[in-house]
Amino acid sequence: MARPIVIGLEVHLQLVTRTKLFCSCSTDYIGRKPNTNVCPICLAVPGTLPLLNDGAVALASRMGLGLHCEIQNYSTFGRKNYFYADLAKAYQITQYELPVATRGYLDIECEGRAKRVRIHHLHLEEDAGKLVHPTADGRLTGAAYSLVDYNRGGVPLTEVVSEPDMSSPAEAKEYVMRLRQLARYLDVSDGEMESGSLRVDANISLSNADGSLGTRVEIKNMNSLKALERALEYEITRQNKVLDSGGRIVQETRLWDDAEGVTRSMRNKETASDYRYYPEMDLAPVVIGDAEIDGYRGAMPELPWEKRERFAKSFGLSGEEVSILTEQKELAAFYEAVVASGAPTARAANWVRMEVLRVLNELGQDIRDFRVKPSVLADLVTRVEKKELSSTIGKEMLDALARNDLTLDEALERSGARVGRLSGDALGELIKRIISEQPDVVQTIKSGQDKKGGKLKFLQGLVMKEARGQADPQETAALLSKFLAG
Amino acid sequence: MELHELSAKETARGVRSKEFSAVEVTEACLARVDRFEGSVNAIITLTAEAALGAAREIDAKVARGEDAGPLAGVPYFAKDNFCTRGVRTTCSSKILEHWSPTYDASAINYMNAAGAVMMGKTNLDEFAMGSSTENSIIGPTRNPRDLNRVPGGSSGGSAAAVAAGYSPLALGTDTGGSVRQPACFCGVQGMKPSYGQVSRYGILAYASSLDQVSPLARTVEDLAISMEVLARPDPNDTTCDAYDRPRFTEALSLPDLAGKRIGVFEGFESSQMDAELYGALQRAAGLCREAGAKVESMDLPIAVKYGVATYYVTALADASSKLACYDGMRYGSHIDGATLNEMYVNTRTACFGEEVRRRIILGTCLLTEGFYQNYYGPALKVRQRMVDEFDELFERFDAYILPTSPSLPYVIGMKETDPNRLYLGDIFTVPISLGGLPGINLSMGLNALGLPLSVQLVGQRYFDAELLGIASVLERVMGKPGVATPGDIQKDRGAK
Repeated sequence: MARPIVIGLEVHLQLVTRTKLFCSCSTDYIGRKPNTNVCPICLAVPGTLPLLNDGAVALASRMGLGLHCEIQNYSTFGRKNYFYADLAKAYQITQYELPVATRGYLDIECEGRAKRVRIHHLHLEEDAGKLVHPTADGRLTGAAYSLVDYNRGGVPLTEVVSEPDMSSPAEAKEYVMRLRQLARYLDVSDGEMESGSLRVDANISLSNADGSLGTRVEIKNMNSLKALERALEYEITRQNKVLDSGGRIVQETRLWDDAEGVTRSMRNKETASDYRYYPEMDLAPVVIGDAEIDGYRGAMPELPWEKRERFAKSFGLSGEEVSILTEQKELAAFYEAVVASGAPTARAANWVRMEVLRVLNELGQDIRDFRVKPSVLADLVTRVEKKELSSTIGKEMLDALARNDLTLDEALERSGARVGRLSGDALGELIKRIISEQPDVVQTIKSGQDKKGGKLKFLQGLVMKEARGQADPQETAALLSKFLAG
Repeated sequence: MELHELSAKETARGVRSKEFSAVEVTEACLARVDRFEGSVNAIITLTAEAALGAAREIDAKVARGEDAGPLAGVPYFAKDNFCTRGVRTTCSSKILEHWSPTYDASAINYMNAAGAVMMGKTNLDEFAMGSSTENSIIGPTRNPRDLNRVPGGSSGGSAAAVAAGYSPLALGTDTGGSVRQPACFCGVQGMKPSYGQVSRYGILAYASSLDQVSPLARTVEDLAISMEVLARPDPNDTTCDAYDRPRFTEALSLPDLAGKRIGVFEGFESSQMDAELYGALQRAAGLCREAGAKVESMDLPIAVKYGVATYYVTALADASSKLACYDGMRYGSHIDGATLNEMYVNTRTACFGEEVRRRIILGTCLLTEGFYQNYYGPALKVRQRMVDEFDELFERFDAYILPTSPSLPYVIGMKETDPNRLYLGDIFTVPISLGGLPGINLSMGLNALGLPLSVQLVGQRYFDAELLGIASVLERVMGKPGVATPGDIQKDRGAK
């Protein structure tokens, strides 16, 4: 019998404040010259004291509200003590005993099943610096020396600690995706796993036959959602093998090695650090009044699940369409603006989720960098809807507009397509010319040898091409038949 | 009176009214340093040139008719755990032997802005850990009132400087008595303000929840003036109270103690302390009564029984964490090693003194899993009980009188071998620190040997001004302590 899987996640989110958690250094550290984004406070120069960034408290509260947590009127900081070169004070200031938000939940849906993941708490803490090892692979092993860059030291993080409510790697991945989506909706964090603004530590255990919880193992160092899923899958297999062979799971921390696809023991319970947590007396307690909490609540934007419901209801879209359109709030806003500019909802939804996402993907762009204005896309969609443009030309135009600063008319002009619909006598003239240019083909058709209609299609294709897609296919077919018959 | 004997108030008045110049005062004080420092050893770094430069600027300001500040031209020393820009700040430790901060502590900024002239940095027990100013890279400071004896500590250098007439004012830090006790030993006035009255920004921390910048002077009025300069909100320290402070000097107009309720501490066997200091306590009680106060005896059972233990658990735990940043990597002394860990161990073993290492190790143990639940956790609770005990008593009293120290200043080297006994010397000062209360060491004259006697006045938290008022009434009767002439006492000792 398969052992039930129990997974709990600790997700660190870098908060998008302008300055660090306890000093006025910038949080924009990526790509900066090492150790230039620092000050006496974040370098732990003797005599300096931490000054709490209220903006970080506000963002953590906002995230807490998004997770249906209770925001605490009174929370405190503590010190997590350990010596390491990336930690200037030799202690990390973190909320330990009384965190800013407690007891919430996040609803997810995985493989068609709804699930509620309970949130134990959410707390604030500061990020550490970064070690740079001058080896080819950037790893510590084999490095003759290491360099420290404190630019990141003190950047605010909020850690969201879930209850062990997930029962598969897929659920864990879905939870992180929904948490990331929420953080982005709330403008709390960029949530980029690759750049490290979202980091996940997973606790996983396999339950015993009697249903009691097994020994839990913590895994770290997963730098993508894929890595998270793979690491959990590897760990399930590993733990099952150990248990199947009569072995015992050791409580330990394991590091995921993405290249090798394995987890490796980093430290076990016996060698685990004792962080000697205790209250941080250099900071006054964080007091958030009810009025302030009401203020945060009042300023909450539409949340992902609210937006999903509204999109389904107001635009008559399917569940899958809604999911794709609302995954990113900027994309959802773009879609809404396209609709507001007069494009029909279903057609606009198709264009946004198929064509716009395709073009963004090709360009490696985010919707925020997209050159095409919603009103322009609405115009394009409407023209296709009215059959002024074929959908092929429409797509070509979107490609052109996304790559060049052009108006739609300029793009049509440049592509050689005539503006306005080609029909009636004008279309007739074009067809007559094409017929006159293709006497052999015409002869074949007229002699009844075009049994499968391939030659007729060839002619129709030539007309459509010459018309730059601005002829109606049915009208073209009708006129073509008429002239061939005539 | 000679210039070095003037109070800060008199000095500033004289400078502002051009009766004498700031340069003359500074030179007079430097002459005292020159004459006695060879035997007293109170100063780690003397900044004579910078001081004369600052004094010249004050004189120029006065000459231009500008307001030169309430401490215009008043020389002062700062304990060597205050950050001073460009002036090395050693904390009496090898680990910071050559470290110069890039910024001034807030307290130093306030003093300088008030026109005071920084003369240099004074000796202390390494990282303010000690009560005798013997544990220092420059060796022990000697008590100006008896060179064979310790000046107390950890702010012993600052207390000795004021007693020896190096300056009318000095800054110290008081964590568990580190200003009150040396003030007591050196026979000067010293005040630990309520916790949160003065910014700790730029103070090299010992224990965050206890450290407090504290002035030393030869008059209560100078303490009040110092408080007006020092006690103010500071955006750089969120534990420093954000509200406006009262005018501390206005409290000094208190004519007598009519209507005041004073508690005299009686919760000990008189055999536990020096008889003359016990006598000083009784005398102070009598003076309060004569000044119109209602005087009753009182006891602090929790504070006396658990104060020292609670204090050391709290302070050492904090010290173990606050001193962890001295790893030799970014600043301070560095001793190499093959691995990161070896560098840490080599640096911290060689560059911290024995007492500091002892306290770091104890503090580390106290926070370790298991010990925390048995020591640090309970200590926090007992601390709260002590605060409650104080609060209950303040329903009956406006202030208490306690001893500052159970003993007179002891001979150098005598107590160092028994740290437990040394710690018990703090029995009357640490509870006040744990309670966050203001405490003043009030000089009660000298004994027949010329050794200082004193009492400790304790007020309700944030009632610092009221406490200064009470102290000033008693000082009017007792008189202000004079400047010591180091060397004289030794002759008397021989005669006895």
